[in-house]
Amino acid sequence: MKFRKVFIGVFVLLMAGIFCVSSIQAADPYNLGVALGFTGTGTLYSKDQMEGIQVAVDEINAKGGFLGKYPVKLFQQDTQTKPDVGVRTVKDLILRDKVRAVINDYSSAVAVAVKPICREYKVIHIAAISNSENITKINYSPYTFQVVPNSYMQAKAASYAVAQLAKKKGWKEYVTLASDYEWGRSTQEEVVTDLKKVAPFLKVKKELWPKLGETQFASFVTSIMSMKPDFVYACLASKDNVTFTEQAKPYGFFDKIPYVGSMQSVTELITEAKTMPRGLVAISRAPFFAHMDIPMMANFVKNYRAKYKGKYPSDWAVMGYDAVYALKQGVEKAGSIDNDKVKDAMKGLAVDLTRGKLQFRPIDNQLRCSSYVGIVRDDPKYPFPILAELIEIKAADSERPEAEIVAARQAEKK
Amino acid sequence: MELTFLFSQFMSGLTYGLMLFLVASGLSLIFGVMNILNFAHATFWLIGAYICFTFWSLMEAHQFALWVSIPLAALATAAFGWVCEVVLIKRIYKRELHEQLLITYAMALILGDLIKIIWGPTDRLIVRPSIIQKPIHLFGAPIDSYFIFVILIGFAVAIGLWWFLKYTKYGHIVKAAVFSREMVGALGIPIPKIYTWVFTLGIFIAGLAGGVQSAIGSVTLGMDTNIIIQAFCVVVIGGFGSLMGTLVGSLIVGEVFSFAILYWPDGAMVLIFVITAAILIVRPWGLFGTPLRA
Repeated sequence: MKFRKVFIGVFVLLMAGIFCVSSIQAADPYNLGVALGFTGTGTLYSKDQMEGIQVAVDEINAKGGFLGKYPVKLFQQDTQTKPDVGVRTVKDLILRDKVRAVINDYSSAVAVAVKPICREYKVIHIAAISNSENITKINYSPYTFQVVPNSYMQAKAASYAVAQLAKKKGWKEYVTLASDYEWGRSTQEEVVTDLKKVAPFLKVKKELWPKLGETQFASFVTSIMSMKPDFVYACLASKDNVTFTEQAKPYGFFDKIPYVGSMQSVTELITEAKTMPRGLVAISRAPFFAHMDIPMMANFVKNYRAKYKGKYPSDWAVMGYDAVYALKQGVEKAGSIDNDKVKDAMKGLAVDLTRGKLQFRPIDNQLRCSSYVGIVRDDPKYPFPILAELIEIKAADSERPEAEIVAARQAEKK
Repeated sequence: MELTFLFSQFMSGLTYGLMLFLVASGLSLIFGVMNILNFAHATFWLIGAYICFTFWSLMEAHQFALWVSIPLAALATAAFGWVCEVVLIKRIYKRELHEQLLITYAMALILGDLIKIIWGPTDRLIVRPSIIQKPIHLFGAPIDSYFIFVILIGFAVAIGLWWFLKYTKYGHIVKAAVFSREMVGALGIPIPKIYTWVFTLGIFIAGLAGGVQSAIGSVTLGMDTNIIIQAFCVVVIGGFGSLMGTLVGSLIVGEVFSFAILYWPDGAMVLIFVITAAILIVRPWGLFGTPLRA
């Protein structure tokens, strides 16, 4: 009888133990979707962003995952930088892979198309590098967050720098050169509008709109040179920027005409280290070298370089990394992985990121992050040029006033 | 507007046009002789650019690296084109046009992925030899010195193809095959072999164009999808299968685009498509094509 009691006792204990272990092991992973343009024009930036995301996920999983118990499982999909494909792949991620959040995309057009899908299925949507402000400004979704300085903020930063230079150098006329798609158009429009206010003495001589993916810029180069503007304001995307720079250089373009506002992220600074004209006045979104004094950034750079054979992280990798950590802190604040609780927790949340302690603006879920303007110059610390004399334009000086957002949303309803 | 700048704009258009000619001439030749509408043609052009980059990086330290890499890229691309013809293209000669388009489009996608696997997504840049890093001035207008080379290559290919078609035995066979492949076959000339070599020649020119392009800007994924549309516009304007038509069509597209940038930048691409559509409506066989081919 005693033996029987002991046997039952041991059996119950064993079952309880097995139940506990299995319940710990059975904690669902946090399925995180990454839908980026791994092919098409966004390939280069998307690959870098994915690497940043991977480093963040590795670090977080090494500590047990979100809330220490939900390991993050990545599901990666290629949107081909096309809105229709983006919508399809994100739906696949949500319905098939049961992702709770999606980081998407390189292209603003894709992010805008994906936003209503995420809202419909109540999935957190983080635009980590696509920066059209329309992602968060209009057609607002409480599930969509943006951790990149948006097109308005970048344009403000650029116009701030241009106005300073124009006053100093006596510039009067300029030509704009912008990629003919959502981001290029909205950024150019913002800069031109803003320059009318901050530097009313400046006049636009011509607006040029090369198509996205243009391979022959020579006609644009000679056309600009014939117009003899005081400077060119450029907002060319990714590869187009590289192609233009390469094709303009043999004309002596950069010796004759100040070229301002082009985006030179760390990707361009590295890939064109040998060839990039020094002295360009360039804008950047999240250069790591601007914040090496922040321990989180220093740690990220160390881990990233260790994982990717000494490569330095680009702006895109930095923002991919920040996107995951912003989500992590949202989950921590919510104390749950329930999407409705997480999105409520992230609204207005101040998060610790590689770029400092930054807050999501409650009205639009836009991260109140900085933009960076500097002069392309060599630095003995790095095997590539960096942006020297860096000006950090804080969100407070570059973000759109809330009243304008409210007005835009009201106009949208009409 | 100063004349020097108009001249500069003309030279940009000329270079652009001749670059398009290098891509479109192979496309037109292959269609003219073999009746194959090769949507993957520009992808071979891109492969040529990447191969040129690879050869150049092997000899990077030498000033001659680029000049040697361009012909090597053309030869290597032609060899690859020959393999593709023997393995795949040969099997679709008798298919309907829409089937050929679908198959060659699929081929373009597969080759695009192959490029990504081999060379990765990073932009590839060739550092030009110092002799062509500075502009030269013609009649006071600044010109990219490398463009002189592009113009020479463009005209050399045009003259070379004209000479080949007009004065050589094989050229005569190719021209005869355009009009009656059955008659040429009946004379004991192996048509499949002729097709293979015509396709290889077309891809050789595409590879050469890719090599030339590689030093104009960065070599990037997706470049092919942009240029193939323009190459189709060129052959539609000039007339499929007509060498002179392709040359004239290329120069029209290049110059219209270049001067539109100067005077009506918003309409630059639109104008090209308007011209293409107008030709299709008024003269569907193109400026220099023959109604037979339409």
